[in-house]
Amino acid sequence: MSSYKPELQVSARNLEEVKRLAQAGADAIFVGNQQFANRQPGDFSLFEIKEATEWLHSQGKKIYVMVNAIYHNEHLESLPTYLKDLEQLKVDGIVAGDQSIYQILRDIKCSLPLTWDPETLSTNYQTLNFWAQRGLSRATLSNELSLDAVIKIKENVHFPIEMQIHGMTNIFHSKRKLVRNYYAQIDETYDRSKTRFIKENRKPETHYPIFEDLNGTHIMSNEDLAMIEYLDQIIDAKIDGLYIEGILKTIDYNEKIVALYREAIDTYLADPAAFETKKTAFKQMIADIQPDDRQLNTGFYFKEQID
Amino acid sequence: MTTRTRTKPELLAPAGNLEKLKFAIHYGADAVYIGGQQFGLRSNAGNFSYDEMREGVAFANKYNAKVYVAANIIAHNENLEGLHEFFKELYEIGISGVIVADPALIQASREAAPDLEVHISTQASVANWKTAEFWKNEGLPRVVLAREVSVEEIREMKEKVDIEIEAFIHGAMCISYSGRCVLSNHMSARDANRGGCAQSCRWKYDLFEDGTDGTVAVSDESDEQYTMSSQDLSMVEHLPDLIEAGVDSLKIEGRMKSIHYVATVVNVYRKIIDTYFEDPENYQIQQEWIDEIWKAAQRSLTSGFYYDEPTEKDQLFGRPNRIPKYDFAGLVLDYDEETQMATIQQRNNFGIGDEVEFFGPNFYHFKQTITAIWDENDEPIERAKHAMMITKVKVDQPVEKFNMMRKGK
Repeated sequence: MSSYKPELQVSARNLEEVKRLAQAGADAIFVGNQQFANRQPGDFSLFEIKEATEWLHSQGKKIYVMVNAIYHNEHLESLPTYLKDLEQLKVDGIVAGDQSIYQILRDIKCSLPLTWDPETLSTNYQTLNFWAQRGLSRATLSNELSLDAVIKIKENVHFPIEMQIHGMTNIFHSKRKLVRNYYAQIDETYDRSKTRFIKENRKPETHYPIFEDLNGTHIMSNEDLAMIEYLDQIIDAKIDGLYIEGILKTIDYNEKIVALYREAIDTYLADPAAFETKKTAFKQMIADIQPDDRQLNTGFYFKEQID
Repeated sequence: MTTRTRTKPELLAPAGNLEKLKFAIHYGADAVYIGGQQFGLRSNAGNFSYDEMREGVAFANKYNAKVYVAANIIAHNENLEGLHEFFKELYEIGISGVIVADPALIQASREAAPDLEVHISTQASVANWKTAEFWKNEGLPRVVLAREVSVEEIREMKEKVDIEIEAFIHGAMCISYSGRCVLSNHMSARDANRGGCAQSCRWKYDLFEDGTDGTVAVSDESDEQYTMSSQDLSMVEHLPDLIEAGVDSLKIEGRMKSIHYVATVVNVYRKIIDTYFEDPENYQIQQEWIDEIWKAAQRSLTSGFYYDEPTEKDQLFGRPNRIPKYDFAGLVLDYDEETQMATIQQRNNFGIGDEVEFFGPNFYHFKQTITAIWDENDEPIERAKHAMMITKVKVDQPVEKFNMMRKGK
């Protein structure tokens, strides 16, 4: 019997959230600095990463630093120093999706473990095995995969695999400033502190959050993923990292979600029959705290797709 | 300006089918890219069987042109079957290189046909010089850049890494980083990264702000709805900048476009490249080249990310502000010098009294009014109304096979 236990992962916006989510039961916290990372709920300085790292390590928890921007030449000027700094802070790993990361880590002899997360491009096991030969430690799978495809990938690789199990997913990334461009177009004032969403024409029920950061414009999914009822299948497949996206949600919400997934995972590991009895209730507890404008679904894990 | 001893960059054109391939090469493309029946992103672009590829390569060889195959899907597990056979076949057919985005396909190609060149597709979003260096160290001869890269960034890449760079100069663009958009999967269950793009970025949306009293519909402030639609790229006015930055292959987008589009756009860029290299010091853009590009344009045009970050001026809001102003009216199949009669295959309704423009390779152009038309039975007719009908038309100046006739809308 292996000592398999999935790592429950969640993103955090600040030190307070790091602590609360870890105490709620997360095994690993994802943080990032917006200069090098896309779609961050916060913006951690090196000093804050140091504090978070020390605190999390004192609790036996892990910290991964997102450096998942698509790099342009100018990123490359400061990125190597940043990576060396992170290595010195002894963070548990970085998360990146730009192919140059393999060259950069090699060039600067940086031994930080790499979680390879090219977002939409992580869709088959041969591709991931190609990157494994070039140095990844783990890989995050694309969200647009069936659960069967996730399981098949897991069966065909020899490194840990991560998947998102809760929260909104990114569905569009442009380098352009597509929100403020529109305000300029219609001659209205753009207030960057506001949150926004778009709806499809004649589909008033749709709700796609849209926002800008230093690396461009991002559009998020219409629904929040919620895979809590299906944790049995995911855990049976021995998926290694289970990620909760906390962006655009309150700390209170994220704390409750983490606690629920913690309980659900531990319940299934200890007693599958008890999980079977409780899984509908787990789902209901999520539905109870879900914001009105955010429906829940299972993303692509059980959806037919046309290619 | 300092003179440099650059070699001419390759002019690379799209070819959605065999006919388009021939026109692209005839009008001056140094290379074309096509799709096979598997592993490509343009499932509606016609695409080539192996036999058609053989014919395409044979035609290209006569003109010293190259044929590349775009095999640029982001594969899922079930798409991994048959890769080795596919690349081996392409190599044996004489394809000059494959344009690939997914490393699983890169690996398969190199295993199956080690001498077949592999180029990294724009779908992989190569946007910095370290990524170029990575692929160089992997042994790949060329990267196709992301559309988000500026002329200055290209210059820096070429200074730092000895690898061929292919960059887009003309055509439609993803407004997202290519490959990093799954709008179509989410809104239409069609996977853009496997050829199913529903162009959801060009749809109309409503934008809302979250406020203290619920939401505010920002788009109600204007007649212009929210959208992410981009204008089309055109570097017609700035091509020497890309040449001097060191771009090795200048790429035109559009495997789905008509032969009229491909011929027109290739003709202009061929003329620009050749004119520039004849005398770089005294090169000047000519208004007639710009006008010519607009005869095939389908949207308004922008230089994308090559100079400054695009603004709202580079997007398409409201109603389309420029639509094609010309129709492709006919294709010249033959010409009789003695009678000055052209045999023309009808591609759009035309008739006596219409002002038309004939054009051909090497920027050959003349305008005339149609004065006489005969049908296949040599009966005089007023108008050529039937699709693809063969006509004879009296022409004012000599024409030749592959010339085209267009008319204003």
